[in-house]
Amino acid sequence: MARDKIYLEEEFPSPLLQLWHNFKETPVVMIGFSCFIFLTILALFSPLLTPYTSVENHLDFLLLPPAWNDDGNVSFLLGTDNLGRDMLSRLMHGTSLTFGLSFVVVLISLGIGLVIGSLSALTSGIKSSFLNHFLDVILSIPSLLLAIVIVAILGPGLSNTLWAIIIVLIPQFVHITRNAVTQEFRKDYVLASRLDGASSFRILYHSVFPNILEKLISQATLAQSAAILDIAALGFLGLGAQIPMAEWGAMLKNGIDLFYIAPWTVYLPGLAILFAVVATNLVGEGMRHALKVSKEA
Amino acid sequence: MLIFTLRRLNLFIFTIFLLTLLSFSLSFLFPGDQLINISGQVNATPKQLIVLAEQYQTNNNIFQQYFAYISHLFHGDLGISMASQLSISTEIMSFLPATIELTLVALFIAMLFGIPIGFIAAINHRKATDNIILSISMIGYSIPVFWLGLLAILIFSIQLGWLPSAGQLSLLFEIEHVTGIQFIDILLSDSPYKWQAFQDASAHIFLPACVIALAPATIFVRLARTAMMDVLDSQYIRAAKAKGLSFKQIIYHHAIRNAMVHVIRDVGLQFANLVTIAMVTEVIFSWPGIGRWLIESIFQRDHTSIQGGLLVLSSFIFIVHIVIDFIYAALNPLARESRHGT
Repeated sequence: MARDKIYLEEEFPSPLLQLWHNFKETPVVMIGFSCFIFLTILALFSPLLTPYTSVENHLDFLLLPPAWNDDGNVSFLLGTDNLGRDMLSRLMHGTSLTFGLSFVVVLISLGIGLVIGSLSALTSGIKSSFLNHFLDVILSIPSLLLAIVIVAILGPGLSNTLWAIIIVLIPQFVHITRNAVTQEFRKDYVLASRLDGASSFRILYHSVFPNILEKLISQATLAQSAAILDIAALGFLGLGAQIPMAEWGAMLKNGIDLFYIAPWTVYLPGLAILFAVVATNLVGEGMRHALKVSKEA
Repeated sequence: MLIFTLRRLNLFIFTIFLLTLLSFSLSFLFPGDQLINISGQVNATPKQLIVLAEQYQTNNNIFQQYFAYISHLFHGDLGISMASQLSISTEIMSFLPATIELTLVALFIAMLFGIPIGFIAAINHRKATDNIILSISMIGYSIPVFWLGLLAILIFSIQLGWLPSAGQLSLLFEIEHVTGIQFIDILLSDSPYKWQAFQDASAHIFLPACVIALAPATIFVRLARTAMMDVLDSQYIRAAKAKGLSFKQIIYHHAIRNAMVHVIRDVGLQFANLVTIAMVTEVIFSWPGIGRWLIESIFQRDHTSIQGGLLVLSSFIFIVHIVIDFIYAALNPLARESRHGT
């Protein structure tokens, strides 16, 4: 006979698991989360899923309206643009550029910010004060302006704007890591492991990081919605993704001249950006709410 | 207050120092010759180049070069634009006021609508009103601003024909450029069509300012809501309730004032964000501001302009930060003591 539970054991979920338990309580947040997962799948597998490639021209079907219009054609569900490229395929390919790259950008700047932030939390005095002021200066420069400067140095192009956005996002991660680490270092459990003879780096890695991970993730989702908007804005201004790329902002820019005869070429990329940002923001909101709940509990 | 002022001044000097350092190093980082990048003299003859090298001390060590650059800045000399060969400081002086005007109007609109709506949401916390306001504000700050601008032009300028879609003022009006801020210039001018010009300028600024204001307004909604909820949770509100004050009295006399103080502190942080949005909007609405000028400078590879624009625009934002900090400190005595350094 199986005896799987003899004792009533009290379970202590890890901070991340606890966050997840609180996170999934709100239905709206779960809808946002499903959209987020949906976008992630699209970003990863869009080349396999799309009916056409993003640059395939159908010269017999220029500026075809979406399929629900009387003039539409069901083989081009969301219509075509001025070069006869299928909008649906382009939007799906764009997911991996706008949404997928924003994810990568946030991960990289999170990594860099985490390292700088924890190092600065361990130092004190003039070095840390200098860093603080330096970050304040960077934060006071508008992100687009900084991106413009970096694009001016490196030249326009998608990969260069990505570096720009990474640099723009780093300060907020440094800031939040720094504050979170200093806060944790004051707590008793850190003192306990310090009395056990653990070095600062060991404490940081084994005790502090698991406990501040949730804060970082919640900041990362907020940063990602900003990153999506920045990538799209730079694409729109013609500084980011260059012409044949199916990046949503660049698609929007391509559609402006045709706004009056083919409004869907502007509506659809804009809606795609809005959808991605709302989904990301919902996840971020849910994360923040869950953090607040677990702090109060 | 004196210590507070000194601290801010200290921070200001430090920041300006870092910004000049940044813009000085940009002249090395930009592609092309450093001397030409920093001065903007693309068509200089070898003889002129020698004079320039003397002025910017490029043959001496890096510190002397930096000080030469700083002394140029103190004389108001940011070099000349590589594209138009005009002095950058005059160019900035003609473009920056339009941006200041636009951002301040947008900030005003954002505060005018955002803060009261946030208070309403906080008072109706966890009711339908609160949820509706929160959902709308979520969509509001998720909308990409360039898309919103295009839609606004399509609906209000082209389909309905209510508002003009581009520029700062109709070309029919001749207004002398005095301060650069259109409204003040119009009031100063002695044109017989002053009021028509004023109405025209208001019609021109309304649409771009509203487009810019939407995202900050939704952020103010959230800030105001949080601040109000904190205040309503506090002990002195409970004390006021215990004294038997009506709900209206509590809100108007106690809660709003205290919540406002907290909101104002965060206005400064939102300003950099607002300027970013304004830069994109200027491009869409052909607003003759510094954002559009900077974005055009990139396409013209006008490195000297970018360098000068970065310096001036970031200093402007930082000055607004500090002004708002002062307003906050004037309103809230607690803030003067407790903040350290940062």
